[in-house]
Amino acid sequence: MYWWSGLALGLFSFGIIGFGFFWVIRMEYYLGYLWWPYPLAFGLLLVLASLFVGDAGWSALLGITGASFVWGATELKEQAVRADLGWFRANPNRKPDPPGLRWIKKIKAPHL
Amino acid sequence: MLQFAGFWMALATFLSIWWGHVGVRKLEARSGNILPPALLLIGGGLGLNVYAAVAPNLTIAGVCSIIGITLLWDAFELFRQQKRVQKGHAPANPNNPRHAAYLAAGGHATTADLLDREPLDGQAAQPVLRGRPRVGVHMDHSMGD
Repeated sequence: MYWWSGLALGLFSFGIIGFGFFWVIRMEYYLGYLWWPYPLAFGLLLVLASLFVGDAGWSALLGITGASFVWGATELKEQAVRADLGWFRANPNRKPDPPGLRWIKKIKAPHL
Repeated sequence: MLQFAGFWMALATFLSIWWGHVGVRKLEARSGNILPPALLLIGGGLGLNVYAAVAPNLTIAGVCSIIGITLLWDAFELFRQQKRVQKGHAPANPNNPRHAAYLAAGGHATTADLLDREPLDGQAAQPVLRGRPRVGVHMDHSMGD
């Protein structure tokens, strides 16, 4: 009886991963990889929120979306290298500093 | 009471993406022929989705389908990864006869992992380094910024 719901969640996950490719490229281009803690925190918050949503379906959608943002945060650094190598368009303009840049620079950007 | 459905889906999604990146690279680098592993991934992906249809609860159904659909995409990624190796965007494994042939052909294939470096600068207008940087030489900041 879960055949439709399970497949729908699988397809949703597929779609949200595809969206991840899109926003990682855009975010690296316009903001820079040093903004990585923000999608990481956003993703973790979504996963945390999924624990407190009573409905299993909504909880699932939040969890899947959160996990995709956590992954995207770890992918920003590699995307910056791809842009350095000329595999992706590099932004010719200076990017804005993320809030808390001093602390962010003290932590090695996560990459898996 | 806490609802753990989302947590298990999150774990399945994260691990699926992780394996889709890291595992597919390793599998492609070690396989002499990528067709058999691709067929295995397709079989596994279809099997998990069929099981999702009869799974006893939503969490198991969702986790199976998330992993199943990702495995189907991973089969496709094996072929894309093969192209990346041919282009030099992923390191060739000289011990793999298929990769050794790419290296011997004198194209763009290389054993260097060009992505294994730190970004030049997070915020500065980025210099674009077209072409292939020399193997083992780290790009220095004097090249642009």
